[in-house]
Amino acid sequence: MADFIKNPVVALPDRDPAPHFSEEELIFTAEEKVRIARWVAQYPTPDGAVMWTLWLAQEKFGFLPPEVLRLVAAELGIPYAQVYGVATFYTQYFKEKKGRYVLDVCTCFSCQFTGGYDVLHYLEKKLGVHAGETTPDGCFTIQEVECLGACGSAPMLQVSNGPYVYCLTPAKIDALLDALKAGRMPGFTSVTLPQDEDEMGGNRRTDADASISYSTMPIAEQTR
Amino acid sequence: MAAKAGNWQSYKRVLLPPVRDLHRLSVYGDYGALRKALARYSPKEVTEIVKASGLKGRGGAGFPTGLKWSFMPPVDPDVPRFLCCNGDESEPGTYKDRQLMEFNPHQIFEGILISNYAISAKACYLYIRGEFADWITLMEEELDKAYAANFVGENIMGSGFSADIILHKGAGAYICGEETSLMESLEGKRAYPRIKPPFPAQSGIWGYPTTINNADTLACVPPIIAHGAEWFAAIGAPDHPGPLLYGISGHVNRPGVYEYPSGMLITDLLEVAHGMRADKKLKAVVPGGASVPVLRADMIDGVTMDANSLRAAGSMLGTAGLLFLDEDTDMVSFLRRVTRFYHHESCGQCTPCRDGTGWMENLVTRIDEGQGNTRDLDLLLDLCDQMEGRTVCALADAAAWPVRNTIKRFRADFEAKCRKAIWATETKAA
Repeated sequence: MADFIKNPVVALPDRDPAPHFSEEELIFTAEEKVRIARWVAQYPTPDGAVMWTLWLAQEKFGFLPPEVLRLVAAELGIPYAQVYGVATFYTQYFKEKKGRYVLDVCTCFSCQFTGGYDVLHYLEKKLGVHAGETTPDGCFTIQEVECLGACGSAPMLQVSNGPYVYCLTPAKIDALLDALKAGRMPGFTSVTLPQDEDEMGGNRRTDADASISYSTMPIAEQTR
Repeated sequence: MAAKAGNWQSYKRVLLPPVRDLHRLSVYGDYGALRKALARYSPKEVTEIVKASGLKGRGGAGFPTGLKWSFMPPVDPDVPRFLCCNGDESEPGTYKDRQLMEFNPHQIFEGILISNYAISAKACYLYIRGEFADWITLMEEELDKAYAANFVGENIMGSGFSADIILHKGAGAYICGEETSLMESLEGKRAYPRIKPPFPAQSGIWGYPTTINNADTLACVPPIIAHGAEWFAAIGAPDHPGPLLYGISGHVNRPGVYEYPSGMLITDLLEVAHGMRADKKLKAVVPGGASVPVLRADMIDGVTMDANSLRAAGSMLGTAGLLFLDEDTDMVSFLRRVTRFYHHESCGQCTPCRDGTGWMENLVTRIDEGQGNTRDLDLLLDLCDQMEGRTVCALADAAAWPVRNTIKRFRADFEAKCRKAIWATETKAA
């Protein structure tokens, strides 16, 4: 065997790691199976439901180790290699264990120039870990991510693939971390359109938990 | 030069009209445009109306929507046909579709149904990026209500026309915004773009005829049916008519999504956003998302937000997500982040893109850290030549354009960060 095959330049992942979940844990409940069957029915072949099923599995198990991918493959009746391929292609599927809360800080250019990296570095300093790492108590993982599509309310972050938190300042980050430590996830925040500010005197939505108005300067300046 | 947008100060919004809680079906009303389309027009007539309105795709490429629909093959009852609505909005600087989903989801649904009718498709996959989890939940709730009210589903409003809308949640991949890649993703595969031809209209998802439109494009369809093609064609710039959602971000006092007619002067948009923050001077504008060439402040006089004007100025309309940058901005750092984005988001299928974007990031990083040489700039430009047009999809081109144009238009900034020449350029004769 050629040398480079025996000693690859890049360390390959362990192909058969010790499982994280026991046989008893690795099942979908009847209720979950109904949801999966509904997704499968929406596509001409079961393959289409793989992304939804992976989302369900990630919600249930927290992350997607090989044994969970095998479970998804068996449930949908498609090859494990295909499920593995899909899970490793998309960034939002966690292939390794993350913290209880994953803080995805957007640093793409709109956020970059309004203080996205300041937010990231503030979090790194405050939590004592680098981007991509989890705090020793397993509470937070910080990640640097590409554009999250909230460029007008930069800098911003997303908590655990869920709610967005806009217009960050050090005080707002501190409050967010305290709330998360106490187990309170932020709610849905609606951002007022500037034209609504002029024509309707504020946010058009009356049902959002909170709303951020554009009438003031973007708060991002303060993170500098 | 007069603005092509006409009297934009008195413009009445149609995509995001000023109505409280418009996202609720009870406030939204009765899908009147869909009712009108089903009762008064044949599918072919709907296509003709959209063609006559001059509606162009809002996803970046600006392809005429009616023309795209007419590429669908004749109806064969044995072959299913599909519509895909592209809500995988990941272009940096673009966040207009999310506002539509948040404030006016039923207009997207109505646009989807009218388009389904026009191309005789029975189902539409609405692909939304996974990061928009909250908005997917909202769309699911509202879609359920629309189903319950029989605006979607079997025999819509007793017309005999049936159509389903199926939500699909992405999981974080910029490339899924590319139409063939989106189809691969829907089929439950790694989202590698396909070689065209065959085009989606011939062989799309699962090999069936498919049309793919942006969510914003489809939201423009109900007003066209309700008010007529002439009304739509008269809004804004004649070559790219209709309302446009301008997503303004960066160093401005009031960033946000603004709805105005197309063809707005860039300077007017800056004024609408209350000017530059802290009264700084403008340095550069990115007029349509990360992949379009950046414009220097002295290049935007009289430039309007439509395809022709921006092409003449040396840029593109893209997604109309404008990024304004002030005089303190470091353009090398800007380009470093843009190349990082493309390196991260390259799907890895074609070598020129997979390796090229990586080398671009390495070279720009080296320059940004003060370790680069001026010859690296020429190497970067050469790299752009090697990448453009040599890959399956346009991501390599989209990565090359900002590199080429940022270096061309801000060369002094880059040279200032490069290492000084290692031998003296001035040699005096002894």
